[in-house]
Order: sequence, then structure tokens, then C-alpha cells
Amino acid sequence: MHLSTLLSLPASLALLTLATVYASPHSYTEHLHLLPLPQSHLHAHFNFTATTPLSAYESSHFRYFPRSLAQILQHTRTKELHLRFTTGRWDDESWGARPLDGTREGGTGVELWAWVDGGGSKTVPEERWSELVNSLSGLFCASLNFIDSTKTVRPVRLFEPEGDHGSEKGGLQLLHGMLPHEVVCTENLTPFLKLLPCKGKAGISTLLDGHKLFDATWQSMAIDVRPVCGAADGGECVLEIQQSVSMALSIPRSMRDRHDPIPRPAKIEDVQCDESKPWNGHDTCFPNAVTDEPAWTLSKVFGHAAKGACDLERNDQAFDVTLEVPSDRPVNATGASELTFPSTTRRHYRLSASSSFDLSLPACPSPVNPMALFTPPLYATRQIAGHGQERGSMHTTLRNPHAHPLTLVYMESLPWYLRPYMHTLRLSNGKQEKLYYTPALDRERGTHLELVLTIPAQSTTTLTYDFEKAVLRYTEYPPDANRGFDVAPAVVRVLSEHGGFGGSYVRTTSLLLSLPTPDFSMPYNVIILTSTVIALGFGSLFNLLTRSFVLAEEVPPSPLAGIIRRARDAVKGLLGKKTGGDEKESKAADAQAGETAEAPSLAKERTDGKANGIANGHADLRERKARVVT
Amino acid sequence: MADEQASIALLLRDSPLHDSFRDESAFASQFESLQRRTTRAFKPAPSYHLTFSLFAGGSAPSSWDIETAAEQYINPLLQALSSISDFTVDTQVQLHASISPAIAGPTFDTPTITWTLLASDLSGFVNAAEWPLSPGIGSGSTINLILYVPHPRQTPLTLSGGGNSWIIPQWGGVQILNPASNTTSHLSAAHIEPVMLTFADQLMSLLGVPDSPPSLSLRIAALQRERTTSLILSASSTLGALVRLTRKLQSIAIPKTVAHSVELTISHLEQACTALSEGDYAAALTSAKVAEAEAEKAFFEPSMVGQVYFPEEHKFAVYVPLLGPMGVPLVMTLIKEARGLVGRRKGKVKVG
Repeated sequence: MHLSTLLSLPASLALLTLATVYASPHSYTEHLHLLPLPQSHLHAHFNFTATTPLSAYESSHFRYFPRSLAQILQHTRTKELHLRFTTGRWDDESWGARPLDGTREGGTGVELWAWVDGGGSKTVPEERWSELVNSLSGLFCASLNFIDSTKTVRPVRLFEPEGDHGSEKGGLQLLHGMLPHEVVCTENLTPFLKLLPCKGKAGISTLLDGHKLFDATWQSMAIDVRPVCGAADGGECVLEIQQSVSMALSIPRSMRDRHDPIPRPAKIEDVQCDESKPWNGHDTCFPNAVTDEPAWTLSKVFGHAAKGACDLERNDQAFDVTLEVPSDRPVNATGASELTFPSTTRRHYRLSASSSFDLSLPACPSPVNPMALFTPPLYATRQIAGHGQERGSMHTTLRNPHAHPLTLVYMESLPWYLRPYMHTLRLSNGKQEKLYYTPALDRERGTHLELVLTIPAQSTTTLTYDFEKAVLRYTEYPPDANRGFDVAPAVVRVLSEHGGFGGSYVRTTSLLLSLPTPDFSMPYNVIILTSTVIALGFGSLFNLLTRSFVLAEEVPPSPLAGIIRRARDAVKGLLGKKTGGDEKESKAADAQAGETAEAPSLAKERTDGKANGIANGHADLRERKARVVT
Repeated sequence: MADEQASIALLLRDSPLHDSFRDESAFASQFESLQRRTTRAFKPAPSYHLTFSLFAGGSAPSSWDIETAAEQYINPLLQALSSISDFTVDTQVQLHASISPAIAGPTFDTPTITWTLLASDLSGFVNAAEWPLSPGIGSGSTINLILYVPHPRQTPLTLSGGGNSWIIPQWGGVQILNPASNTTSHLSAAHIEPVMLTFADQLMSLLGVPDSPPSLSLRIAALQRERTTSLILSASSTLGALVRLTRKLQSIAIPKTVAHSVELTISHLEQACTALSEGDYAAALTSAKVAEAEAEKAFFEPSMVGQVYFPEEHKFAVYVPLLGPMGVPLVMTLIKEARGLVGRRKGKVKVG
């Protein structure tokens, strides 16, 4: 029961794509799904699907399928590709199950997995994978080229191919890489839009704007390429590319005007106070949680209305925009025609090429029977516990809210500098069916840990293991080393009850690991200290050994001392001129000048005498020496 | 014949083989036009990727019968040129292609009721920022041949000097097609026949095929010989650059693969020269192509990068903080002692 409702949304979309596939092999459809979420959020899911027949793909004649991506796939012999850019966090507790069961989202940062034609050898897929990440890195302006052998794993049970590969399935190899540190922003959105036929200039893709998209609480861009073989009309296989953007944005935040984005508090008269609090008074107010549905307009939330329509080879029953609200909520739509369908909670609109489309919903008090949100299959959280720079432990909590036991696949791809101790792996309250483990090799390969677990109904399982942190080489630290290193999120696949293909995916958050970091100013300190010690020690010893002691008068006057003496005299002369002024003082100065004129001559006589005295002294010394000798 | 002699003389003019070729003053007058042909053409490459793109200013047309048209008009030409290089063809359709904002854009000409594009705008017409014209993966150059269908608001679009197509040197060619009606979403093969003929013409000039004599096979033969000459020259100059590099960086380590490639290059160059003198032009071209490929492989060997070898100045910078505090007092004392010695010697001379 739960699973059928869970899968109803992707099933309808899948039907849509299959229907258009049967119509003509070159096809393109786009669709926007809007769903208001609790706590004033809005979930918008954009889906763009284009197909090309495999014969046209192989002879390189492209129409709606992007040629730049097709070239990369052909060159690296990739048969199925899934690329994800995600930021933010999906709030499971408030919003329920993830959109499309987590199949069109990835872990924080960039996640990439692909089935590559192995060519029968072990090294060929890795070479092709490295070429694939480098080419995709250039195409999407993202540093995907950092996905090297240290970040690549080969999952065993986690992913199943979504496309129909037929007989080639045996030769394909799955490779998976994650970059949790990657920042996703507008420079990744622009190449994404360039892959679309309408290029963000007509249809729903005009709503995608970097300012609003990356301001959302959670957003994920996904590109999926897979071969689809429809059995009905002669079995010509097509290659399908699905580009989707999924976002959960906060309505009050997105409705703020771009030119005045400062949030301002509401007036105190408009705030509803919680009157059950003991301190509630005329000057103290604890605001109530907002449960009303706010008013919102599509053009304000996304920045501008949707212009035109991108209708390429579309049949008349296709619709562009779906709004999922209770049937009693008033909705005002302009610039589009509304199609009627039996469902009462969904309204479908079809855009027209000559007008812009806008939706506006007025505010509405909390509904009597709100839209039922699907319970997520699993709640998963993961933390690093422990203290110090030497060791720690990983702690994962998996909670099963349903009344039946769950079988799940839990995969972690750890960096090589986080060394887990597998003998400390403990699972409480759950059963471990299988363990796939590839140990790490320093600087070559990370740890690959994959567990198949069973969790009983309505219970919580805890998975813990200890690990040790490695000390990296001096050049391996990133520029901001004290921030720490990112550990990729753990991916959990909840297997469906009937087995086979399908299942939902839940991802934990990425973690920040603080490794022992050296003091990077040490090389400078060592050089300065060594230079100082050598200068002091060697310099003093050298001076002691080579210095010749002479009398003060015999020292030839150094030019620097002369300059200093002349400067001092000039300053004294200036000061003397300033203080002098009275006649008396000048007379006194004259008298003084006369005295001082005499004084130098006296001094001169005295110094001469002194010099004579010295000469006499030397003569004395010589006599004494002579007397000693003789 | 005279044209071919002139073009080969032009190729040899800048090379060290220049003085062995006599009497080039006779061809000096043709050099200018030949120069223009060579600057327009692509550099010789082992393979070329041809990309035919349909750019529509609006949302239509969204498809064209390029597969059949290319099969009919372009493939025979490519087969004839197969001895020169390998060719791959791919096509794409792009909608809502807006003209680059850097240029003035088409202006409405009221007397003729057409939109005209100035001659100065032609070089900046291709909107490299927005139009996805990524080069082909793999070795070889990409030749982009673009068919532009203007937006319904800007039809009909013509060039100010007349005509509707132009070549962008060493990049590709552009053509403008004004559709008969605004709402066609598909261009049929009959519709694009004149377009393909213009593309074939542009392709010939982009590959540097000579203009005369009128027979295509004779022109291609002349191109083969010119190609052989330029490949031999380029392979030998690459070898020379490699030798100068090894002499300059004495500490560089030459891998065995590079040595093997150099041997192959030299042997193939010799074979090409003997074949040319015997008149076996096809064999000369294949040997010259192999020689060029091996020379490029040897020169661009990734492990022989100059930046890996530290210049001597770096070692100096490491030792200065250690030896500086020791050296400075020594040097100062040396200078003082030298001055003292000179003074004493002068004094002795005076006294004695």
C-alpha cells in the first residue's frame, strides 16, 4: 500500500516518457511539478527528457540530444550515466519522503556513477572512467577531475542499471565517485541549461535562475542518460537523457525582492503570541509557530514568470505544469490553459508559446485535512564521535518507522586517511546479512564498505566502528587545512519487498573530519631561527677573534660619526638661537661667547698637553721596557 | 603547374632548405594570393572532425534532413580526400540561438525591407559563449560548418556586401538561410541542397585545396604534394626543436619511447624524400604522415616537461638564509682588510 503510493509520482512520469517514446524516436518533453510543503516551503521539480534513436546516436546525427555530452559518452564507451549536484538538506521529519524516492538526487556536493564498457580487462574501465570525469569536468565547469582512484569505488548491490542494455549487460562495470567538498553554484547551472533544446529561453526552463535556485533550502540537479528499448513498435532502442532540477525553497525567503533582500521582522501587532506561556504579557511575546499557508506567486518566488513554451513534437494531451494542492484551495492562473483530469488534488496547465505564465495562490488558514505526506522509508543520520586527533568512531543511526521489517544496503566510501577498525564493527538491534569490504591502500584507494542489513519493524539500529586518523604529508593538506576534510555521505538503498529492480535511496549528510594538522609556519621559523643563531654565534666569535683594540683618538673618523656630530651641533645651534632674545641675554651670551672662545683654546692646550702626556707616557713605557730587557 | 611550383616555393621560403631552391623571384608576384590561401586553411592534421550545425534564431526549424544530404553531397568529396586525412561527420540542431551581443547586430534596411549584417560584424557573429560548439574529442582539428536560420523577427537577413555565406579562417564557415515560410519546422533535403553545395565549396577552401586547374582530381593530387612538403618540413623542425631542448636542459631524462619515435621519424623522412624523388607521391604522403605523427609524439611526451627540472637559482635561494649571516661579516672584514692593505702599501711607498 505504502509503496504504491510512494511510486505513484514516478510511475506517472515514467508513463509520460514511455508514451512519448512510442510516438516518435526523436522526442522532447518537459514538466514542472509544484507541491507546497509544511512550514512555508515549496517543492518544485523540473524534468526535461529528450530521446534520440540509437542509430542516429551512433552515426552522430543529433537533434534534441546534446551533442557535447554524446561525444563524451561515445568516446569513453559509457552506456549509462548518472550525475548529481546537490546542496542543502532535505528535512525528512517535516517534509516526509524524498521526491521520487531519492532516485534523482545525490549526496552533498557532486556524485557520479556510470556503467562503462569494460572491454574485458581490469584497467580499461579505470582509464575510461578517468577520461569521463575529466571531460565532464570541462563540460560542467565543476572540478570533477578530482575524482581519481582514491575516491572511486565499485558498489556491488547498491545500484542497478536503469536502462535496457540487453546482451551487453555482462560486460559493463559500475564505477562510483563522490566529491563532498564541491560547491555547486551558477557556473554549474549554466552548462546544464545549455544542454536543453530550448536553452532556458522558452518554456519552464526560463524559471531557473541561479539567484533563486541556490538560495533554496535544498536543491539537486541531476542528469541521467540511459538506453530504453520499447518492445511495442519494432523494438528500436532510444537513448534517453533526463535532466531534472529539484528544489525545496522557503517561500518567505524567495519572495523577498532581489533589490531589497534584508529580512525585516513583522510588526508586533501582526504577530500571534502563544498565550499558554507563563511570561506572556503586553511586552513579552513568544510567537506561535506559523501553520497558515502563505500567499505566493510563481513570478515572485522564481523572480519572473515563465515565458513562452518549448513545444517540440508534443501531443495534445501533454501538460507542462502540475500544481498539487487540496481541491478547495483557490488558485489563479494566467497565461495558460488548464486541462481537466480526474484527479482532484492536481491541476494541470499547458503553456502557450505567445504568453507568459503566472500562478498566484492567496494565503489560506491551515487546512482541515492537510495533504498527506508520505512517510520516508527510513531515517538515517551519521556522526563522528570521539575526541582528539588520533582516533574517533563513526556512529550511524537507522530508524525504521514502518510496521514491517526492512532490508537495506548501506554503503560508505571512506577516504584512505580515515582507517576503520573492522573488528570493532557493531550492529545493535539489527541483523547483518552480508558484508562487502575493500580495505584502503594509502594514497591509492579508499575504503569501500557495503553492508546488507535487516532492521525489524518500528525500531532503531545503531552501527558503530572505531577508526584511526592518519597524518598526511606536508604538501597534501588543502589551502585551509584547519577546516578539516570532508567525508562522503553514506548511501542507503531500501530494497523493495518484491525484490528486483527498484527501491528508495536515502543519503546521510557529509561529515567534517579534523586531521592532525601541522603548523605551516614552521619552515619559516626554522630558517629565521637558524639564521639568527648563526648570526649571533658566528658573528660574536668572529668579532672577538678579529677585532683590533686601539685608543679612542687613533680611530680614523668615520664618515657616519662626522655626520651625526654635525647634525647634533646644528640642532644645538637652532635651540640656542631660539632661547636667546634679551639684550642682557645677548650680552651675557657675548660674555659667554668670549669665555667659550677662551675655553677651546685652553682645552686645546690641555689636549695638547694630554697628547704630550701620552707621548711622554709612551716614552715612559719604552724606557721601562728597555730597563726590563737589559 | 606554375601555381603548384609557386606554392611549394612559398612553403620552402621560410625553411633552411631555402637556398637550395633556385629562381624563386619568378613566383614572388603570386606569393600574396597564395599566402591568403594558406592562412585561411587549417594546419595539416591526421584527422578532421566536420560538424554541421543548424542554428535557429527562434524555435523553428527544429530538424533537417542532413543525413541524406550529407550522404549525397559531402561523402563523395570526403572519399576523394581520404588520402589526405581521415574525416568524421556529426551534426546537431540548436534552437534559440541569439547573436553575440558584442557585435552591432543586423540593422533594418527600409528601401529593400531586409535586415543587413555589416562586414565588420562577420568575424564576431559566432556567439562562442552561448552556442555549444565544443571541439571534437580526440586528436585532429574540428571544422564547424554552420547554417543559421534567423529569427522570424529578423528575416530576411542578408550581408551588406551581398551574398549569404562567409569563411572564418582556420575555424569553419557560416551560411545564412532565409526560410520560405516562418512556420516550417523541418528542412527537407531538397531545401538544403544549395546549402550543401556551398558547404562543400567552403570545405575545399578550408582544407587548402588549390583553385586551379578545374579538374578536382588534379587539384587533390596537387594538394597531396603540398601536404607532403609541409609535413616533411614540420616533422624536421619538430625534431630540431627537440634536439635544442635536450641540449638546453642537460639534466632531462629521455625515455626509450622518445628515442624509438625519433628513429622512426628519421627513417620515414628518408623514405618520404626517396619516394618524392622517384615520383611515388602516394607513398611519400603516407611516410610523411607517419613521420609527423611520430615527431609530435616524441616532442609532447608528458614525462619530459621542462618545469620539473629546477633551475640553479632555486638552490641558491635555499642556501642564502643559512650562509648569509656567516658570509656578510666575512665579506665586510675582507673589504676592510683589503683597504687597509692598500693604505699600508701606499704608506710604505711614501716612506720608502
